[in-house]
Amino acid sequence: MTTSPVASDDPATRAIVARTLALQRRQSIMRIVLGAGFPLALFILWEVLARTGLIDQRFFPAPSRIIATTLDTLGNATDRRQLSAGLLVTLARLTVGFVLGAGIGILAGILMGLYMPIRFALGPMVYATFPTPKIAIFPLLIVMFGIGDASKMALVALGVFFMTCMSTLSGVLYANPIYADVAQAFRIPTWTRWTRVIIPSALPAIVTGLKLGLGQALILVVSAEFVSSQNGLGHFIWNSWQVLDIPRMFMGLVVVGIIGGCAVLAGDTLERRLIPWARH
Amino acid sequence: MQAAASSTALRLAEVRKMFLTRNGQVVNALAGVSLEVGRSEVVAVLGPSGCGKSTLLRVLAGLDDAYNGTINSDRAAGADARTTERLQSATVFQTDSTLPWMTVEQNLRVGLAGLSIDRATQKERIDRYLGLVGLADFRNAYPHELSGGMRQRVAIARALASEPLLLLMDEPLAALDAQTRLVMQQELLAIWAVTRSTVVYVTHDIAEALALADRVVVMSARPGRIKSVHDVPFPRDRDVIEMRRHPAFRELEVALWKSVAEEVGSSLGAPAKPAASTIGVRIDDIARSV
Ligand SMILES: Nc1ncnc2c1ncn2[C@@H]1O[C@H](COP(=O)(O)OP(=O)(O)OP(=O)(O)O)[C@@H](O)[C@H]1O
Ligand SMILES: [Mg+2]
Repeated sequence: MTTSPVASDDPATRAIVARTLALQRRQSIMRIVLGAGFPLALFILWEVLARTGLIDQRFFPAPSRIIATTLDTLGNATDRRQLSAGLLVTLARLTVGFVLGAGIGILAGILMGLYMPIRFALGPMVYATFPTPKIAIFPLLIVMFGIGDASKMALVALGVFFMTCMSTLSGVLYANPIYADVAQAFRIPTWTRWTRVIIPSALPAIVTGLKLGLGQALILVVSAEFVSSQNGLGHFIWNSWQVLDIPRMFMGLVVVGIIGGCAVLAGDTLERRLIPWARH
Repeated sequence: MQAAASSTALRLAEVRKMFLTRNGQVVNALAGVSLEVGRSEVVAVLGPSGCGKSTLLRVLAGLDDAYNGTINSDRAAGADARTTERLQSATVFQTDSTLPWMTVEQNLRVGLAGLSIDRATQKERIDRYLGLVGLADFRNAYPHELSGGMRQRVAIARALASEPLLLLMDEPLAALDAQTRLVMQQELLAIWAVTRSTVVYVTHDIAEALALADRVVVMSARPGRIKSVHDVPFPRDRDVIEMRRHPAFRELEVALWKSVAEEVGSSLGAPAKPAASTIGVRIDDIARSV
């Protein structure tokens, strides 16, 4: 584009640019200060409440103690191995389940959106089974896929499938019809039509589905590991709770929280990358 | 013009179209449209708002198959052998039809996806038509970074770049300022002189219809029928500004104004004044005999 560089010797222009930049800077400072400061304030409050004995130290140990335990654990080779092994196992289940569920969900959503018979055939089933708490059918999945990794991946995939499928479907159905008209009017070949018109027009909804699915996936994998697993982060947390090693439990929670935070960040980045035309 | 219309590119016979609204009401949009368009002929379509002009174009573009009557076109006959380098038909829509996830250049390229032309030819055409609509500097911009009129020019360039045998345009210049519109009209005439596309051109602007078309078709208020057809007695290599001096231009312009005004009156529920209607017919007849 030819947005010619602003003539910086023009004082009026310079003033406007400076004002805009200052506004942006003030906003980003505020975002960091509030975003980090508010949780920090809560931690300090927690610390004070714990130390003064106003909350039960056994179940809500002071943040300083959790940090100390964490550093302790990370310093201890066995503990460290346990935690990182748990993390890897959980991430593997999460990734495989997510990719599987999202792939099938997006494809199903697009097909349902484009082809009425497929929508009529699958729609009622999808909508009827969607509200079932997925963890409730975990026993069935164990029967089908065994007690190992496969049943947990299937559970994650199931949860992600619903989120991405329904979101993609509405994305295709409610995309501006002019896009389909353009594809038809210019006789755009099928492959190009899918990759350059249909999928991009549904992309905002697809990305929303992926973000929601990621949250579901994390909930489901940890829940599954709570009830049936000898490894993974869920097991690490549940096991710590059962032996009443509360600081260790909090450590597990922190790691799960970090995964969640990374997931949200990845989702936002993906969104900015894939949907450059939307204003963020 | 008349010579160019030596063979028929498009023949509509008694085309009818109705819509069924949500509450079960029938909206009659087209009530028997019959029209022949010669190859390389430019036909402008005038008519009051809501009379079915866009509906007609959608049917012609193959976007709506639920109509009665017959449409014969070159496409059906497979008449032209050069089908791989030119689209059978391309459309400029009335509303913004740029794809927001693509840059201007990609918007043009995707319109060429159905053609078997190599990359170099694609690039040459994109460059040429972006230049013609004055957007060469904006090839890497996204539509949301453009003004409404610029977006419409992208849509025009996309349709022109496919060098269609049949070009369907739905008020393509309505979003532009009057000066740009005149320049674009002159450019369209020059482009069509080269591509020899058959054009169906919907517009509300009577002077524009006269500037561009070989024939002007006036549609009646809804349900749309063809009310009258007027030959434009000017050669194709016309000057869109100079031609306005010509008495024949002004006479035809007045005739068309009256003809359309009658329909607007009836579409708004006001009975057209008998006097106006008589004059309309009289000037109409003069125009026909020009
Ligand atoms: N999808 C639809 N469902 C129901 N009615 C429709 C639909 N599309 C168009 N119509 C009706 O058909 C008639 C003709 O519409 P059309 O868009 O063809 O008008 P137009 O001549 O292009 O008007 P304008 O000049 O304002 O663009 C209108 O009365 C409109 O209400
Ligand atoms: Mg219209």
